[in-house]
Amino acid sequence: MADHSKVGKEYAAVQWEVERGKIRELARAIGDPDPIYVSKEAAIKEGYKDSPASATFLTVPMMWSSSMPVVITDLAINFAMLLHGEEEYEYYQEIYPGDVITASPKVAAIEEKTSKSGKKMDMVTIELLYVNQRGEKVAKAKSLLVERK
Amino acid sequence: MAKEIYFEDVAIGTEMPKLVKSPLQKLNHVIYAGASGDFNPLHTDDDFAKAVGMKDGMITHGMLVMGFVGQAVTNWIPKKNLKRFGVRFAGMTKPGNTITVIGKVIDKKSQGGVNLITCEVTAVDETGDVKVTGSFDAALPTKG
Repeated sequence: MADHSKVGKEYAAVQWEVERGKIRELARAIGDPDPIYVSKEAAIKEGYKDSPASATFLTVPMMWSSSMPVVITDLAINFAMLLHGEEEYEYYQEIYPGDVITASPKVAAIEEKTSKSGKKMDMVTIELLYVNQRGEKVAKAKSLLVERK
Repeated sequence: MAKEIYFEDVAIGTEMPKLVKSPLQKLNHVIYAGASGDFNPLHTDDDFAKAVGMKDGMITHGMLVMGFVGQAVTNWIPKKNLKRFGVRFAGMTKPGNTITVIGKVIDKKSQGGVNLITCEVTAVDETGDVKVTGSFDAALPTKG
């Protein structure tokens, strides 16, 4: 079960240089035909400085940096019983190719809940506030992990 | 791709254009695993998925379904106007499922010079089974 004593703990920062190809690759994997993720010119025509990161791009630094597995292991959560319950993003400004974004995963909450069928679960909330290379806030990501017990 | 939508153009109840995706193939899981970096074998290895209790084998990355919802949203409202986007993963998606995303405006208000709409969004499969529910806020320009 999740280690409830670790609420408030902050982990080593995730730092990620955003690559043009990764923005395009994620859009392609989703099957999103919007040309702004592929073409700088198309993006500029629609009022962006360059191809922006798409709405769910922040999963990329989290997963590729292996940050989430580190957090899950430290919290003593059983991977086999883990479900992704919720995901939320707040967007403060666009993320563009070449940006270097940084965030420290923080354990915002751990609560035990009981499902309708009477099973106990730990609900773990992880937050990351991303800043760019200029120290400007760009986005916040919040993940709710559910560990079935 | 998304045309500029003005605050005056939407009302509470206005529907987001429906997005119907192609039926999910196992290959889509592999491509998404590589793009996102989520290599949990639950999403790409039927034997592993069965061993941890998924009787039909691999299940789709929840974040891929959230990606479909994000596509539906930003094909309608320009990405630059999106301020918040959150979902709850309500059910498991599997290869063969055809995901449809629908949504509608549930709130509209002007405060502090910002014209904000809130929409609810839902992703369902071909049987109507709900996979993702969620909402987003967008700040829209005005014609004035």
